[in-house]
Amino acid sequence: MAMHGYAGKILHLDLSARKANEVPTEKYRRWGGGHGLGSALFWDFCKDKTIKDGRNPANVVCVCTSPLNGTIAPSAGGRCDVVGVGVGQHPQSWYTRSGFGGRFSTMLKYAGWDAIVVTGKAAKPTWVEVANDRVIFHDAASLWGKDTWSAQQAIWEATGHPRGTSAQQAWREVSKELSDTPSTQPPAVLCIGPAGENQTAHGCLVHDAGNGAGQGGFGAVWGSKNLKAISVIGTGAISVADAQALLKARFALKEKYVTSWERPDFGQWSHLGGLPNPLTMTPPPTDQRRPQACQSCINGCRTRASVGYGNESTCQETAWYISAASRVAKSPAQLGEVNMKAADVVQRYGFNSFVFQTGLHWLELLHEEHVIGPGARVPSSLPWEKFGTLEFAEKLIEALATRQDIGRDLADGWVQAAEKWGRTADLSNGNMAFSYWGMPDHGYDPRAELDWGYGSILDSRDINEHCFNIIFTNVNAAFAFGKPMRLEAGELVALIARKLTPYVKDRPDVLDFGDANMYSEDVAQLVRWHRHYTRFYKQSALYCDLKWPDFYNTNAPGMEGATASDDAGEQVFWNAVTGDTMTFDEGMEIGRRIWNLDNAIWTLQGRHRDMVHFAPYIYQTPFTKGELYPFYMWPCRNAKGEWEYTDVMGRTLDRRKFDEWKTIYYRLEGWDTRTGWPTRKTLSGMDMNAVADELAAAGRLGADA
Amino acid sequence: MDDPVQAPFLSVTRRRFLAVAGSAAALLAAGAEVLFADGRLVIPNSEGFLVVDMKKCQGCNTCMMACALAHSGKASYNLARIQIQQDPWANWPDDVFMGTCRQCEDAPCVEACPVEPVKANKPNPDFGNVRMIDPKLCIGCQSCLAACPFTPHRPQWNADTGTSQKCDLCADTPFLGERGGPGGMQTCVRVCPVQAIAFTATMPDQGSETSYYVNLRGPAWRRLGMTTK
Repeated sequence: MAMHGYAGKILHLDLSARKANEVPTEKYRRWGGGHGLGSALFWDFCKDKTIKDGRNPANVVCVCTSPLNGTIAPSAGGRCDVVGVGVGQHPQSWYTRSGFGGRFSTMLKYAGWDAIVVTGKAAKPTWVEVANDRVIFHDAASLWGKDTWSAQQAIWEATGHPRGTSAQQAWREVSKELSDTPSTQPPAVLCIGPAGENQTAHGCLVHDAGNGAGQGGFGAVWGSKNLKAISVIGTGAISVADAQALLKARFALKEKYVTSWERPDFGQWSHLGGLPNPLTMTPPPTDQRRPQACQSCINGCRTRASVGYGNESTCQETAWYISAASRVAKSPAQLGEVNMKAADVVQRYGFNSFVFQTGLHWLELLHEEHVIGPGARVPSSLPWEKFGTLEFAEKLIEALATRQDIGRDLADGWVQAAEKWGRTADLSNGNMAFSYWGMPDHGYDPRAELDWGYGSILDSRDINEHCFNIIFTNVNAAFAFGKPMRLEAGELVALIARKLTPYVKDRPDVLDFGDANMYSEDVAQLVRWHRHYTRFYKQSALYCDLKWPDFYNTNAPGMEGATASDDAGEQVFWNAVTGDTMTFDEGMEIGRRIWNLDNAIWTLQGRHRDMVHFAPYIYQTPFTKGELYPFYMWPCRNAKGEWEYTDVMGRTLDRRKFDEWKTIYYRLEGWDTRTGWPTRKTLSGMDMNAVADELAAAGRLGADA
Repeated sequence: MDDPVQAPFLSVTRRRFLAVAGSAAALLAAGAEVLFADGRLVIPNSEGFLVVDMKKCQGCNTCMMACALAHSGKASYNLARIQIQQDPWANWPDDVFMGTCRQCEDAPCVEACPVEPVKANKPNPDFGNVRMIDPKLCIGCQSCLAACPFTPHRPQWNADTGTSQKCDLCADTPFLGERGGPGGMQTCVRVCPVQAIAFTATMPDQGSETSYYVNLRGPAWRRLGMTTK
């Protein structure tokens, strides 16, 4: 099989033996790359798939690239997927994933590796230097305790790469110890900070200033393995099957689907067709700045400014403290400064701020109720009177990252802490909005946005996939700010439905999240499409979540988006790079295969359909308070059968009906409807008999219908 | 007088030199190289140049990868004839540097090429006198790399072929599918998502280190909340 797009080998770091091994990629080619590659590697390398905490030494963590990494495939060149058993979930931690951007995956490819598999546990703190095909295990004693930025900068220095640009960055050898082809580039380093070193559930992996694999707790996994950092630099190249086709498609994407610089449409509706604009939750503090992007991005979502804070932070880390800071800040400028500096704090500690999405509200409530504080049931000496200041943010993150103060209980999981603190009722009344698997709700509430909620509970964590969420973004902003409604509800669902091949092409009703349709086969089909699409195109081919899929696009003729198109669809770039002749639907089938493998792992870990339920508040308490708006508009059919944007806020999910919906879903997937487990018939139909055999040996193979 | 080849920025410009060189100007206008008795080589001007806006670049490196693809069919940083550098912890505008070949008027890399009787590195009259390295003639001595006065040096080493290479404004791009070079397309210009690279037929001031750094930020940039100054 042709290996265009692949480096051809996988790096296995056996930390226990302090040894690097080489594994041919070809065996794993059928899994595509990224998550699929990672799941297949995990399946082979993890000898105990019953583990329920990622800090178990048997855990295996894989950092995986895609054939598109290191190429100009738009917004797919620099993403990376991390897999393994996570940390801090409830009632147990599942095999899960996290993604990050930047340039790490590109460098890994150019160094000659498609993935890194980390097994075992180092005897002492260790960092690993990868320079092309050579690997050195270094003592990390001098790095342990450093924050993520300091640690990376120390590694740059240790490998002979000074900070700065231009005159400081001549062509130089890639390593002090390894003479090789010179490069103008610094190494790409992926590392943990104090949150990971202390094995807290908040630990994430950070690369450069602001690329983080946040969810999943993989920082804690690395910390448990005494792995501080992996530094990669490569001077090689990736073979591309048809470079001319790749360039042509990239030009087409830019010129047809992205609004022009000369006549920009700032109100355009699409996923990938805007101009670069930072996705920060407070306005950038200055106009003295640039957009900043991952490798090959079509329009960067981050920024670097002259002011020296908030550089490269985006989205959630720029939101975690905003509600607190807004009560103290005396001006918008001060709010922006505190907010962006708070983002820097979590980046440096290697702390996954997503837990504060709803968690900070809960902590504040507990403090107001005198549950947390000096002399309270949960003693805390944090300066709560300074809640909203930068000082409080720093103290809070330090405590949680180092298992101090309330961090002692929160470090192993927030729902676990709620149990310890006698606050499980908060999961019923919604005071603690941790909706799925002990993780906080994303703001796209399961009671409203069904693709997000149902997908998350069927998966292993908050899915953080904005495929259909672009509807919320476009439509609700139009309602909230009086912007033009560029597509009416009927137009919008028809355009999206054209792209929902192979399962529900031209079936717009799958997008109807109205009360009458929310437990339907329609919605099950949509969730199925979503799970398979994201597993392959987004998490294995590694197209950026914030840019793909592109269902509708007001920049393009007929307003049809780039997704699945013949000129700039996902499969076009894949085929140009790899030389495959894959159809869009065949990519979906790879996604289905990966989704089944993931479910097999969860099944071995102990999952059963009876566990697949939301936190009680989702069933008991109506959704009445949105994260962004006091409404949640979504295209639904009205009583006359006409499409209109409808507010789906104000409802609960019905536990019994959701349970019945799962039966519909499992049937569509070909899984055992009694257990939710994969069946031999379904697995063998995808050439996965070995997976069925292992499930059978464990007594956990689903019964064929 | 300074040696016109060795000095990065000439105290006596080539144009002024030609004014006193008499009929040599006619030869140059016809695209010929002129070697004077004192050993100085004067070459015809390139008819195209890349200019960049370092305050605008988003650091996606798409230009680097596209450059390598168009020329070699492979994706790579090392094979890219444009080198973008970033320091993620530096502040704007010092966080990004864009290293492009300047197609120098008196190109030290051309002068330094020792290959005889026909230099491997020379202006190509078929492509507007862009300075090009012929990989079939290059002997791999890397003299051109050493001669380039800029950091990082713009001619670069191709470890795959064992020869030097440099920006040719996409004149020799077998994987581009369109004509490149002056008058044609430049891959990096076309692919850049933020239009931070531009082609110009006007030679930037050879006596200035910053003349290739231009302002390409227009009204849309302002609307996006970023300075156009």
